[in-house]
Amino acid sequence: MPTNKVNVPNYRFIGKNYTTPDMVAKVTGKSKYAEDFRAEGMLFCKLLLSPMPHARVKRIDASKALALPGVKGILTADELPPPAAFITDDGVMIPPDPRAERGLTNEPLYQGEPILAVAAVDEETAAAAIELIEIDFERLPFAVDPLVTLSPGGPNTRNEGNVWVVPPPAPPKPGERPAGPLLPDVKEFKWTDAEYAEYKQGKLPVSKPSMEWSYGDIDAGFKKADLVMDETFVTPNTSDQTLETRTAMAYWQNGKLFVHCSTQSTAQTVPAIARWMSMDTTNVVVISEYTGGGFGSKVTSGIILTVPALLSKKVNAPVMLRISREEEHFLGRARPGLHGRMKAGFTKDGRIVALDMFVVCDGGPYGPQGDANASGRIVSLCYTPENMRWRGINVITNTPPRGPQSQPGGAQGVMIMEPLLSNAARKLGLDQVAIRRINAPSGKAGIGPAIKGKRDHVTSAFVPEALDKGAELFRWNERKNQTKKSGTKARGIGVAVSAYSAGSIGFDGLFVIKPDGKIYVQTGIGNLGTEAMIDCQRVVAEVLGVPWERLEITWGSTAKHLPWSCPSGGSQTIHAMTRAAHAVSMDAKLKLQEIAAMDLGGKPEDYEVGGERVYRKGGGAGMSLAQAAQRAIKLGGKYDGHELPPEIAKMTKASATALAGQGLLAVAKDKYKRDGISNSYVAGFAEVEVDLETGTYRITDYVGVADVGTVIHPRAFGGQMFGRTSLGWGHALAQKWVYDQHYGAPLAKRFYQNRPPTILDVPVSNFKWAAVDIPDPETPVGARGIGEPPVGAGASAVLNALADALGEQIYRRAPVTADIILMALETGKPGDEPLTAHI
Amino acid sequence: MEIIEFARSPWGQDVPIHISFTLIWVCGIAGLAFLIGHAIYVKFMAKPEEFEVTPPELAAKVPEKIARHSLVSRLFHWVMAAAMFTLLFTAFLPKVGFPFAWVTYHWMAGLVLTASILFHLIHANFFLDPWAIWPDKTDIEDAKRRLLRARGEAVPAPRKFAKYPMENKMYHMIIVLTGLSVTITGFFMMFRVSTPFFTRNPYLFGDMTWGWMYVLHGLAGVGLIALIMAHVYFAIRPEKFAMTKSMVFGSIDREHFLEHHDPKRWVVTESSK
Amino acid sequence: MAVIRDVMPAFELFQPATTDDALALLAKYGSDAWVLAGGLDSFDWLKDRIKRPKVVVDMSQASGLRGIKEVNGGLEIGAMTTLTEVVRHPLVKEHFSLLAEGAELAASPQIRNQGTIGGNVSQDTRCWYYRSGWKCYRAGGNICFADTPTAINREHAILDADRCVAVNPSDSAPALIALDAQMVIRGPGGERVVNAQDYFVGPDINIMRMTVLKPNELLTAIRIPGTWGGAKFYFEKIRDRQVWDFPLVNVAAAMKVSGGKIDQIRIAVNGVAARPLRLTAVESAVIGKPADAATGEMAGKIAIQGAVALRFNAYKIPLLRNLVKRAIGGVQEAAWKS
Repeated sequence: MPTNKVNVPNYRFIGKNYTTPDMVAKVTGKSKYAEDFRAEGMLFCKLLLSPMPHARVKRIDASKALALPGVKGILTADELPPPAAFITDDGVMIPPDPRAERGLTNEPLYQGEPILAVAAVDEETAAAAIELIEIDFERLPFAVDPLVTLSPGGPNTRNEGNVWVVPPPAPPKPGERPAGPLLPDVKEFKWTDAEYAEYKQGKLPVSKPSMEWSYGDIDAGFKKADLVMDETFVTPNTSDQTLETRTAMAYWQNGKLFVHCSTQSTAQTVPAIARWMSMDTTNVVVISEYTGGGFGSKVTSGIILTVPALLSKKVNAPVMLRISREEEHFLGRARPGLHGRMKAGFTKDGRIVALDMFVVCDGGPYGPQGDANASGRIVSLCYTPENMRWRGINVITNTPPRGPQSQPGGAQGVMIMEPLLSNAARKLGLDQVAIRRINAPSGKAGIGPAIKGKRDHVTSAFVPEALDKGAELFRWNERKNQTKKSGTKARGIGVAVSAYSAGSIGFDGLFVIKPDGKIYVQTGIGNLGTEAMIDCQRVVAEVLGVPWERLEITWGSTAKHLPWSCPSGGSQTIHAMTRAAHAVSMDAKLKLQEIAAMDLGGKPEDYEVGGERVYRKGGGAGMSLAQAAQRAIKLGGKYDGHELPPEIAKMTKASATALAGQGLLAVAKDKYKRDGISNSYVAGFAEVEVDLETGTYRITDYVGVADVGTVIHPRAFGGQMFGRTSLGWGHALAQKWVYDQHYGAPLAKRFYQNRPPTILDVPVSNFKWAAVDIPDPETPVGARGIGEPPVGAGASAVLNALADALGEQIYRRAPVTADIILMALETGKPGDEPLTAHI
Repeated sequence: MEIIEFARSPWGQDVPIHISFTLIWVCGIAGLAFLIGHAIYVKFMAKPEEFEVTPPELAAKVPEKIARHSLVSRLFHWVMAAAMFTLLFTAFLPKVGFPFAWVTYHWMAGLVLTASILFHLIHANFFLDPWAIWPDKTDIEDAKRRLLRARGEAVPAPRKFAKYPMENKMYHMIIVLTGLSVTITGFFMMFRVSTPFFTRNPYLFGDMTWGWMYVLHGLAGVGLIALIMAHVYFAIRPEKFAMTKSMVFGSIDREHFLEHHDPKRWVVTESSK
Repeated sequence: MAVIRDVMPAFELFQPATTDDALALLAKYGSDAWVLAGGLDSFDWLKDRIKRPKVVVDMSQASGLRGIKEVNGGLEIGAMTTLTEVVRHPLVKEHFSLLAEGAELAASPQIRNQGTIGGNVSQDTRCWYYRSGWKCYRAGGNICFADTPTAINREHAILDADRCVAVNPSDSAPALIALDAQMVIRGPGGERVVNAQDYFVGPDINIMRMTVLKPNELLTAIRIPGTWGGAKFYFEKIRDRQVWDFPLVNVAAAMKVSGGKIDQIRIAVNGVAARPLRLTAVESAVIGKPADAATGEMAGKIAIQGAVALRFNAYKIPLLRNLVKRAIGGVQEAAWKS
């Protein structure tokens, strides 16, 4: 994989490749994942999963199971703590949600939902015990296809209805804090007969939405348009399919719950578990040193970990719950498929003057998914339509729970928009790069709806630059005139633009400079494989000017005094935690300067920090970091952590307090200003080669150019570009769910059936990545996250390339597999059945 | 021994799927045992049948040949028999170790059987005397008499039969039951496989309804093994052979008629020829 | 009683040292026994608790079942020879590259290292309804879940379906049929040898098995005669992913061409029916004709005669047609190199 040079010459560590301290363990198999831990007297538990897609448990007789030698206990939904209210970090009270997902249930809402768990001395016994349980269900109406439940007379997917409706928050009373969001409600919604007739003709009916926003004047926009397009496109439901399933082991000591789990975010998982378990955060310890993939499905691990936690308490022994690949299909979260109907108005030169977007989100059984709304927000940012309306319905289906998956909603929005944009360019006779460039966001571009006439904007966007760089690397202009068909092969090229959120703010940094002169960095970031957890700490070395080797990083167990860190989801980490690292480094720098000034005279600002020393500017008196650490201990107070700034989070305060007195303690909250919402962008360019006799195709070339501000660690960045682009390719190539609609049961539950892409399906040696290398102006080191936007770009560039090779009448859904292409070539009509789910 | 085989449905429910195929052997052996038992009984234990004497003036009116089965009736019988044998062999041979592609032949024979039954219903109801095959009051009284006489009680001798002997009528009744069970279920079961007639739809009924339908089809099917064995056995028994011949040639002779039938109950007219 | 699809239940494991010992075990345990070769098909069934044998007879330690030897210009391949060994064997590569190609396209490198040629030809279907443990015809039930008005059957049969619409997923099987291989079977009565195409059985004859192998028999070896050594071969497999995927359709052909005309040919396809199909009608139609695109077109049309599409697998008809066409007439290569 060619590695692009990152053009930030003044940094010593930032933008440079290095080997992360966890790497050797990972590549030698020494790293321990949740499943690798054992505790004295540990039991195993297994789950009984619902065989029905929607049912009520009528009777459970576990007497034979409990009589089986080696069985230690059973946990049913009746023994779970009731849903509890919780208070967010901002002090907003979220009321308890009786419809929220729990670890076990008596009313399964999808086939595979856990009903109960049995703990036994080993898995063999636990599984045998599950088979001895007599259980009766009352079957309830169900639908696994969102359009089936929307059809007139269609079955409802929950007893109360089939769509989520989120009531608008109540206006705050004068002088009071604004109330938290109201709980989503379930309503019944069915199409009219006229809408159903439109669906029968293969079009997604634009029915009454349950959510809606807009900006500008869409009708005026369409009046201005020279070309109006109206297309339906359907995106797939795809499981997150992390290599490590959400296995968890739990035990209790002195009233504290210890959980070994697989999570994307170590610190943030503590309050999540506390909420699920209805207990205080101070009594929860999370241990997760390594995580085998998350993609958004394990932002705060998964609620299934409450099962071993509660069983452990009940049977008074450590309990391990290993999740099988099939169980992971049920519990592992998935991207919700979106059915999109897009009407767009273009001027002759390709500018989008009006965009009317309607989506139906297949949200599974729990909670309205943010993907629906995000799809509209990202489309509004990526293609900057002058006037836009977004409408959607969050439909409940009896399929496994959805959750965020890299670029949640954004990827779907881009996939719905990009084919239409490509078709528009062909109709208008415009170049594909040009039409994207004229609509590309630049600078403080707007995002989302207008609220009271005002829209949010991003911190920065350099998408035209990304398109230019990509077009050059891909040799777009040269290639667009290449022969399309030769022999039994056709080839085509495609380009796509993608964007997504890329950073949050306001988290804490914490480290101690100890008398040995080393910097002991504490981090609550999860180690989910992106290396962001360690890459962020490069800022500490950079700011303090110490060799990287002098940093010792502690992570992976909240018993080890970790600070409050961001959730490693939505590509927040590199942005949020380089800011926190910068803030805490500046705190350390100031404390060092103050100590130096105290001991050596002068003012703090007369001193410089670097070379493992604090010294008077221009040379002269100074002291080593080791000496400063000793002085800090003697000084006490804020210098060694006995006095703490008031604004840091509760968890950081507790950790800093525990570490106090060991050296110079630096702790700070990121309070840097930010104007706008941080987003990152990718322009993707793909070439495909199609075999016209078999319908198969290969991605022969790919270039991805990212606008992510400063690249902190090029190799990790390249890994993210390749990995997340591959995820996108999977959406175009073959990855999907398959459900039998009669029984509401999944048919594809294993890797070989769901078909995520393999290394041989993607262009390994013909994959190039690059970055625009313009720092984001709204964050100290200029870095934004990269984990999201490559997905939509990867998927859509390939889809667009296919249309370039074969014409528009090929597909109306993704993935586009050989059968779809071959049937389209045979019949001259799109070879798919876009409005049927999970085929 | 299990009579019915159950399976776990995709929804985890236990539903019947079909009879236990060991019932094939059970019914085959039961049929065989019955006919051996019957043969021994007739040979060694049975007393000669005694009937009321036919008045000579009535006997005199009986012609030399009496038409018993019209050509149409005979054709029906043999078509049905051919269909029945095809059905039994296609159903059970593969289950007892002679695999071949049986399904198409099976439903085709089933259609022939169904068509012939439909024809028979119309023919018998509108063109023949539909009541001739059903037991009447006399049959029931006589059945009682024979039973009591077999126990040695002094009751009047039973009368001779009408057109069909009581056993014949009983057999027909059982065949009607099993035959209708097997054809009606069999007709719906055609939706479970691919045929040129309609879209294959294995979900026409719920799992449980289908299950019991298969069980009924199977029970009737294995029942037919025994019934057909008995039928063939009686057909070749010497004392019944005249009736068998009538199923080929259409008529019985005067001697057989007078021996078994009552001219008062089976009035031989021109129309019965 | 609840269902759980995880954790392999306990069974008694036998690792016989000879085929005779294995046969004795099969005779002793009857339907309670399960023959294990590479385990790649077996372990799914066992771990899912769908097949519940009391006894597993692991053939990995039995002598004489592994390896490839030259016999009269042909080959005898032990049933326990791994696919990797088959693919890498110089004689296979040199004379019977058709088999090497087919075997190499099976599964993934890791699976080929463990999976055996005997297992590959004898493997069960991958119909996802059947593999879900649903009691279909193939599992002893009375329904095919894959051919209903709502069934998802993109990967199912277009030919020779009889109630069951599952397909045979083997990649080596069509190659062996095209090479006129013979299957050596040992049972309690001694050895019997069947032609490769007769080794497989369709649902019309036996809806619960994929091969003629009886539960008390073992496939011990595969013999490839020298007849087709060095012939003109064609193998192609179409699949959704480039590795670790079963064929949607595959084709294997061996042709002897002289003076531009086809003298002799054997062609077989898989993924279209419950057993790999030798296309005898195609064979007889193309003999004496030039091995060109026109003959290929004709052959393709013959190959799909009688094909019946289910709801989602109509594409397999043109796919089969085009693959047969290519097998005989070749592929019209693109002018560019990708």
